[in-house]
Amino acid sequence: MTLDELSKQLTKIELQVATGLRELDQIDAVRSFESSVLGKQGSIGLLLKNIRDYPPEERGQVGQVINSAKAKAKAIIDARLNEIQREAVEKESQGASDVDPTLPGGVEPLGSLHPVTMVQLEIERIFERFGFTVETGPEMESEFHNFDALNIPADHPARDMQDTFWLNNGQVLRTHTSPVQHRAMKKFGAPLRIIAPGRCFRYETLDASHENTFHQVEGLVIDREISIPNLIAMSKALLQEVMQREVKLRVRPGFFPFVEPGLEIDMNCQICGGSGCATCKHSGWVEILPAGMVHPEVLRAGGIDPDQYSGFAFGLGLTRLAMMKYGIRDIRVLNNGDLRPIVCSQRLGGPILVNKAS
Amino acid sequence: MLISLQWIRDFVDLPTDLDPRDLAERVTVTTAEVEEVTPVHINAQGLIAAKILSATDIPEKRNLKLVELEVGDGKTVRTATAAPVLHVGSNVVFAPVGASVTATGAIKAATVAGAPSEGMILPGEAVGIPLAMQEAIFLGDEFQPGQVLPAEMFEDWIIEIDNKSITHRPDLWGHYGMAREIAAIYDVPLSAYPITPKAELCDSNLPEVAISIADAHACRRFTALRLEGVPTIPAPLWMQLRIGRIGMRPISGLVDLTNYIMADLGQPMHAFDADQVPDIDVKWAKDGETLQTLDGMERELTKESLVVQSQGKSLSLAGVMGGLNTEVVDTTDSLLLESANWDPITIRRTAHRLSLRTDAAARFEKSLDPSNTTLSIQRFHLLAKAMYPEMKLTSRLSDNYPSRPDPVIVKVNPPHVKRTLGRACDLTEAVSILSPLGFSVEEIDGSWHVSVPSFRATGDVSIEADVIEEIVRRVGFDAVKPSMPRVSMRDIKMNPIHELEMRSLEFFCLAERFHEVNSYIWYAQDWLKQLGMEAGDCIELRNPAAEGLHQLRRLMMPNMLAAVQRNRFYFSSFNLMDLGSVFELHSKGDQEHRHLALVSARRGKKEESVCLSHIKRAISQWAWLRFGQQVTYTPAAVLAECPWENPHHTATISLGDTIVGRVSVIEPGTRRAMDEHLSAWSIACAEIRLSNLTSLTATVEKLGTIPDHPQIDMDFSILVPASSRYHEIAGQVADFDHDLLKQIRFVDSYEGKSVGEGNRSLTFRTVIGSQQRTLSEEDANGFQDAFEAYVTKLGFALRK
Ligand SMILES: [Zn+2]
Repeated sequence: MTLDELSKQLTKIELQVATGLRELDQIDAVRSFESSVLGKQGSIGLLLKNIRDYPPEERGQVGQVINSAKAKAKAIIDARLNEIQREAVEKESQGASDVDPTLPGGVEPLGSLHPVTMVQLEIERIFERFGFTVETGPEMESEFHNFDALNIPADHPARDMQDTFWLNNGQVLRTHTSPVQHRAMKKFGAPLRIIAPGRCFRYETLDASHENTFHQVEGLVIDREISIPNLIAMSKALLQEVMQREVKLRVRPGFFPFVEPGLEIDMNCQICGGSGCATCKHSGWVEILPAGMVHPEVLRAGGIDPDQYSGFAFGLGLTRLAMMKYGIRDIRVLNNGDLRPIVCSQRLGGPILVNKAS
Repeated sequence: MLISLQWIRDFVDLPTDLDPRDLAERVTVTTAEVEEVTPVHINAQGLIAAKILSATDIPEKRNLKLVELEVGDGKTVRTATAAPVLHVGSNVVFAPVGASVTATGAIKAATVAGAPSEGMILPGEAVGIPLAMQEAIFLGDEFQPGQVLPAEMFEDWIIEIDNKSITHRPDLWGHYGMAREIAAIYDVPLSAYPITPKAELCDSNLPEVAISIADAHACRRFTALRLEGVPTIPAPLWMQLRIGRIGMRPISGLVDLTNYIMADLGQPMHAFDADQVPDIDVKWAKDGETLQTLDGMERELTKESLVVQSQGKSLSLAGVMGGLNTEVVDTTDSLLLESANWDPITIRRTAHRLSLRTDAAARFEKSLDPSNTTLSIQRFHLLAKAMYPEMKLTSRLSDNYPSRPDPVIVKVNPPHVKRTLGRACDLTEAVSILSPLGFSVEEIDGSWHVSVPSFRATGDVSIEADVIEEIVRRVGFDAVKPSMPRVSMRDIKMNPIHELEMRSLEFFCLAERFHEVNSYIWYAQDWLKQLGMEAGDCIELRNPAAEGLHQLRRLMMPNMLAAVQRNRFYFSSFNLMDLGSVFELHSKGDQEHRHLALVSARRGKKEESVCLSHIKRAISQWAWLRFGQQVTYTPAAVLAECPWENPHHTATISLGDTIVGRVSVIEPGTRRAMDEHLSAWSIACAEIRLSNLTSLTATVEKLGTIPDHPQIDMDFSILVPASSRYHEIAGQVADFDHDLLKQIRFVDSYEGKSVGEGNRSLTFRTVIGSQQRTLSEEDANGFQDAFEAYVTKLGFALRK
């Protein structure tokens, strides 16, 4: 076969490949067609095998012609293979039925944490970031821990400020989380950085804003050079983190027997922004953080030398914070077990289309 | 406490254009919380004094009287009035036609009950004395009929101070003390307290009042003065208006005057009918003795009640309330004035015991300045002289002062001031801050010796930190530049119970879809009764929030079941959890324990195994994740205090060898007792004592190995009687051993037609393998035979 004849032959084969492929729509069929052309015994494969029949000086050119034809055929076959695979994927992705990609996902309800627990966890995370340890104490406390160790001796008028639940074993239900201050000082000594969240009890008549059972978190920092500017900076950082925005503080004197000086830290009202509303009793400020420098007697009772160390302490009403955050208007819903007012509605079922609850 | 700005201005020269709201804000941030600032704007125009000439009832109008009044220049007018008490011959505050006050507007001539009414006897509430309500305001001879009453006397601002913010500041329970703070805030001088000089009251020609004090600790000081020529007349109008605006009701000149001084200086006084009190004896009462107090009540005294006696007769309950017998009445012309200083704790106990929280007791229990006894009598004398021109002393100022306190000097270390303030404060600054408040400062060897004035020295300021507080609050918290603390790092371990609690709540919420609820830590007796539960011995509240709420809970479950009942209206299935404290009366160790309660509830009677299995799965997963340990459930008898437990479906929960809680299905009777609708529900519950688990260390499973030779899983289903219990069969299966055995685990339990009535099929998965070789089919067959033989020997069959 002359070179010229070979070229014609190859053109013919190319044509056959193109037409032959058109009828094939299965991958297997294309694969066997491929080997009938490019395989050792295939139409092009055989031509390549016969290359030795040509004079050595022509072999180079012959090889080139055949290889180029082979490459062309391979490309056409691969293209057809790709096409068939694409069609198959397309067909599979359409599936048996008509799937609606805009439908919501599964609607199984979630569990939930109590609003106070959610806020508590949030506060704990903030303080852990500042290197605080979380401590706890019992809800049933001795008079000593609840009062005496906090510089509130028997017959002190301050005992009137906290209406106490007394128990028949001589103990009390703690009226604040402050007893943990003393317990932590005894346990760890100074320096110290703790928060103590927990349930507290005061003898109060229940109404929409008063509960006899509520949660607080106590904070305590004791170190060599703790100052009032430190307390104010820490309070601001804490409140901004909780509120997730810039807040203004008003710091004023307050009286608590276990701190000296005692402070009341007010935050600009988050409802009206400070212009005055019912929540802030039209003052623009909300009492949020009773605080102060730890009283030297309290340090001493905790075994810490007030000449060496100073500290600040504060109490934050977790229940109040949860009410503010979640817009809960009646405090009583927090303890009565009814899930409706304390579970976010999206946790109870499927996606919400209309939500007019406020 | 209410403060009158007009009153304050007696002592402090404040700018006339001062904004009372600005004053309130400055008082709040430096001294005490102001709750409210309210203007008293009477806008009195043309009010006059008018003399009542006659008063007659109007027959058909029961609460109206027809009054004829003299209004000056010999003119008389008639008017109708609702004032309940009218004294003919007395002057009253009167608004003639054309006069006006804010509350009434301009007074017009009118016809009442057919008679012309020209003007109005103004009721107390219309001139800024709320407690006087409809009563007429009587005037002494200070105004003549027809004389116009000065309008500015009626104008004021009332500043309400939060009492809680001044419990530690006895000096602030009077206007003068508050004026001192305000003078310091505005940096203006404070006037000297206006009093009659002591010398004038110490005429040695006059007899002394004999005062004996039995207990110098309880009665620190007793000062007395006899006076005569003090007839019953009204207090001056300005005084009535002032005490009226701060919430008192004008009564008579003498009562109003002592009330005025109480609000002025903070010192309560008492006036006795002098004729009945020849001498003074301060003593402890005898048990069983009685005293009729001013409020008319017969009070039983004990030997812990301190009384003022004369001639062996108790006259008053010291510092709390006077006696009725020695009350100053209309006919009294001579009196014995008492101004004393009492031990605050004695007063507090007496007031508590008798539930008699008088204004006097409230002040004495804050520990008053003993200097106030003489000061208040001197003040009384000055004001009374103006009211009673005929007044004469009939004794000299008599003072028994057995417990004179030492002057209080507090040593302050300047570096400590710097430590608290965050910046240095030098002596000059300290002096400029402290001296307007009455302190004096002297520097000795680098430390400050601060002399505390007597009105701050009764406990309020006694240590360095107290003085530092004075400096800090006067510097102003807004002047402080916030800065983060410089702290030392320490290695403090996480609190194990807290960590366990929070992570457990998160687990049950996120992984097992429980909703957390909170409940009270006491039982409600009504509910226990409904559950048919005997609570057993509980720690009890001495003052429960309400009747039937006296027992502290020993278990979480009763209150949890109440939450189930509450939610069944709104949800057809739900899982609840509650974490809290329970209390045990009889306990060798801690009486308080932390419990976790879980409930799974579904509408439908046949859901019990679903509920139970959910709770158990949740507990098992939790235990595995938390402690790396498997939970075992062992059948248990129903506890007497858990009547809700179904005897057939109750088990203890164990971790290793420790029983940590109980799990059960709520028996049908309890469901029905809780709520009729719940009889068609399924409820499973568990309660776990977390406090016992903090000492458990989590076992860590070794990971990272791939068997050298492939292992084979083989499942076997064992047919057992439905009445048999998993924990027994599992125990027996676990005793099977074989060379190739690597692991046996439980897969599931099945009951149904295909296993035959009364049977249960328990499926276990065995894993076999060898370290040395790949297993052959013979190995597998051999194992299967061995296992089957073992099961057969146990008396069970394998399900094919
Ligand atoms: Zn507001």
